[in-house]
Amino acid sequence: MWIKNAQDPGYDATVVNLLLENGAQILGKTNCDEFGMGSLSIHSFFKPVINPFTPANVPPAKKSEPRSAGGSSGGSAAIATHKLCFAALATDTGGSTRLPAAYCGVAGLKPSYGLISRWGVIAFADSLDTVGIIASKVENIRRVYVILIPVESDVVAQYDERDPTSVPVDIRNAAHDACEHFPVLEDINDLGKLRIGIPQEYFPAELGDTVLKPFRRVLQALEQRGASLIPVSLPSTKYALSAYYVLASAEASSNMARYDGVRYGMQYRPPYDADLSKTSDVYAHTRSFYFGKEVKKRILLGTYALTAESVHNVSVMEHIPNQPIFRAFDNYYLKAQELRKLIRQDFNNVFRIPNVLQSSNTSKTTTTQGVDILLHPTTIRTAPLLSEISDKGLDTYVQDVLTVPASLAGIPAISIPSIADDGWPVGTSIVGQWGSDEKVLKVAELMEKLMHETDSKTLT
Amino acid sequence: MAWMGSGHWSRDAMTSQLGVEANTSYSAIDAAWPGTLPKLNKSCVDLAVRTALACGANVQSFSAFDRKHYFYADLPAGYQITQKYAPLSLGGEVRISGSFGEKTIRLQQIQLEQENLKAIDLNRAGSALMELVSYPDMRSPEEAAAYVKTLQTLLRTVGSSDANMEQGSFRCDVNVSVNRPGDPFGTRCEIKNLNSVGFLITALNAEIYRHIELLDQGNQVIQETRGFDENRMITYKLRSKEDAPDYRYMPDSNLPPLILTQAYLQSIKAFLPEHPDHLRKRLVEQYGFNQQDVNVLLSIDAGRDVPFDGETGQSAVSFFEETVKGRNPKTVFNWIVNELVAQLVLHKRTFGQSPLSQAQLGDLIDLVETRKISIFINVEDCIKGTAAKDILRHILRTGAIEDIATLQANLGLMTIDVADVRMFCETAIGDFPDVAERVRQGNKKVLMKLVGAAMKLSNGRADANLVKTCLEDILIHRTI
Repeated sequence: MWIKNAQDPGYDATVVNLLLENGAQILGKTNCDEFGMGSLSIHSFFKPVINPFTPANVPPAKKSEPRSAGGSSGGSAAIATHKLCFAALATDTGGSTRLPAAYCGVAGLKPSYGLISRWGVIAFADSLDTVGIIASKVENIRRVYVILIPVESDVVAQYDERDPTSVPVDIRNAAHDACEHFPVLEDINDLGKLRIGIPQEYFPAELGDTVLKPFRRVLQALEQRGASLIPVSLPSTKYALSAYYVLASAEASSNMARYDGVRYGMQYRPPYDADLSKTSDVYAHTRSFYFGKEVKKRILLGTYALTAESVHNVSVMEHIPNQPIFRAFDNYYLKAQELRKLIRQDFNNVFRIPNVLQSSNTSKTTTTQGVDILLHPTTIRTAPLLSEISDKGLDTYVQDVLTVPASLAGIPAISIPSIADDGWPVGTSIVGQWGSDEKVLKVAELMEKLMHETDSKTLT
Repeated sequence: MAWMGSGHWSRDAMTSQLGVEANTSYSAIDAAWPGTLPKLNKSCVDLAVRTALACGANVQSFSAFDRKHYFYADLPAGYQITQKYAPLSLGGEVRISGSFGEKTIRLQQIQLEQENLKAIDLNRAGSALMELVSYPDMRSPEEAAAYVKTLQTLLRTVGSSDANMEQGSFRCDVNVSVNRPGDPFGTRCEIKNLNSVGFLITALNAEIYRHIELLDQGNQVIQETRGFDENRMITYKLRSKEDAPDYRYMPDSNLPPLILTQAYLQSIKAFLPEHPDHLRKRLVEQYGFNQQDVNVLLSIDAGRDVPFDGETGQSAVSFFEETVKGRNPKTVFNWIVNELVAQLVLHKRTFGQSPLSQAQLGDLIDLVETRKISIFINVEDCIKGTAAKDILRHILRTGAIEDIATLQANLGLMTIDVADVRMFCETAIGDFPDVAERVRQGNKKVLMKLVGAAMKLSNGRADANLVKTCLEDILIHRTI
């Protein structure tokens, strides 16, 4: 609702500029969860996004009941489904590009953190936010990707000095060089050199047969063409969802602070008997009225995660370092940061390519032990009916359980669609080492072809 | 805390200038527009590192940025970027002196911060700020004032800030605690945002006597944050310790940690301007100044305005040292202090705004010293260099950049040796002895005939008034 009355900020996002410069046309803006907070595109001032996917071989009666398009970038996935656009931009903080892509039966890429500029992207959680690309075909994603992130190392890569988290050119080139150890995949029928890791922690109890069956078919097809399937363990995965919600909410509570109704967006006029003795009292009216329910929930959660529990222990003069005080900040935020490191380390342990962002790992030569990519289902289920969604409990948060680890680690992940037995789409995620986005896209293109074959086999 | 002259926190943000109309020069970043990202300005880091090194502080190879949250009208993003957990430097010291003798004030840390808005003027938002935190080493308002003044000089000397309190480039938060001799420190109160040395002293005295009165009456001092009312000269309560906001510090995810290599620190050290303590000593030894002169020279206006991003630039001292080469130090000093600065003050301008170049001043001084320029009334005035002062005022008024010879010609101020003028006058008297005699007897009307004759001899180069005065001096006043 903040955006409803938004003024023109007077500048374009870097991604928009790059696309326009390269001849793209911007068709419009799409619906999404407010500030990207949500997994089902139901938290929008403009009503939920309805999943436009039409299953084949499903009785017409069942089709009519609306399903979620997934979120938060549900609108972007929805318009890509019926090819209303060549590709759609999205954001991905914990799965917001991959999840709706999976539910709508399209492909969705979350690139490595730091490759695409966030200048002009409204921040939800700065350390996790990435610009994603959604399209009906991986090829389309690649065409947008090469505009936003040129791959040849001799081309000036799209480092953006306006984004302090934009990775400098030398590190981009280092990642490019590290990828030379990635197996060459030319022939779809000869994947003998490709080592695919299947992380055992990505099959939680909530994951149903609907998802497992098509995933197994994908694995079979890959194995038949010579790819090695290697079971791997990412032991810290079980903490990922909790760590993610603490960190993302903490950052969100900070980023939402600027929406006070003074400089942009909507302003709520307090009743005239209201106590306005403090600045925050004035802001509270606008913030209470115009923020959506989910956003307020996360602001509260994040605010608590950053709070010093016992105010009496905090010195008024806040400059004294190393004060031994016990705070929610230590118990939640710092713990979550530590977990994030473990999760990142888990990934570095299994990949064959070193992570060029970690200086200690740069000397590490490519091992024969590691895997080239990881493969796992994108979601625990197919798109839920809008009528069965309850915002009580943790149901909506569990949607993200398979997508948040890659976000926490900042590594590239793409979801490509296949069709479950009930005719609705599910996604398979291909996850690679930081900076191997190009290779992840390559594998995705091969698998897209394979899945066309397997899906058409099962449907006939 | 000091607002750094290199200005902006962010390279993309517009240059912020003091004196600009409210809310006219801010960028989207400053207004914390959604989608904008902060950027650390490298020259801000350079200047802060300079300051830290000048204080002998231990500059950290790793420092990082945190967000400090609170809701206030001067804070568009709802948080301020600061360095809570890993500051730029630790330790260091500042030596102060005064009627209390000499003393060393220890520093806890120096941290970089993002400046908030000044009131609700967005022009100021997003500027870079450096906060210096000292240990409780000061025992009186005089020591606190000396500390502030010493810091101002230091900041100006290393070029990191103009340290101008009136324009808000330099502000202090001070803590006050009172105890009986031999007792441990009493409960402290913090007074926020003092913006002049005068107010600092007044506020400290007011607060000290408030504490003493409370303690004498057997009451306790409550730890709280206070403000200073400049009109009533008293401090007042802002908030108690219990009301202290929870700032919910959090690492800033946008600005990466600041990694400073030894090579970088060496490069800053190599170009570190002279420490004020050393500079004082040198000025005394090299130019024979007394402490009074040195104080005057060092205190001239804002010394260094810092638009040069750390260039040592034109401070009064460097201006002096450039000009004094091959000239008399006292003469140059007098010209800078009594003429240049006096004129600047008259026109309400800072030293940094002076258009006078070092070469122009040098030439002016030389002309006067060699007695080649003057509209002298008598020989005394000739030495005072009235014409030279006219040229100086002309330059200050118009910002003329031409060399002195050109300006002289333009202004009709002739270069002529005083001795020459006198010679022309004496020749004229010799040529017309009867006319001279009539002048001696009091007939001033015929003086003009002699003036005309002398002017003719000088081929019109001499100033008529000057010739007239010279003739009067010879024939009537008989002063020459």
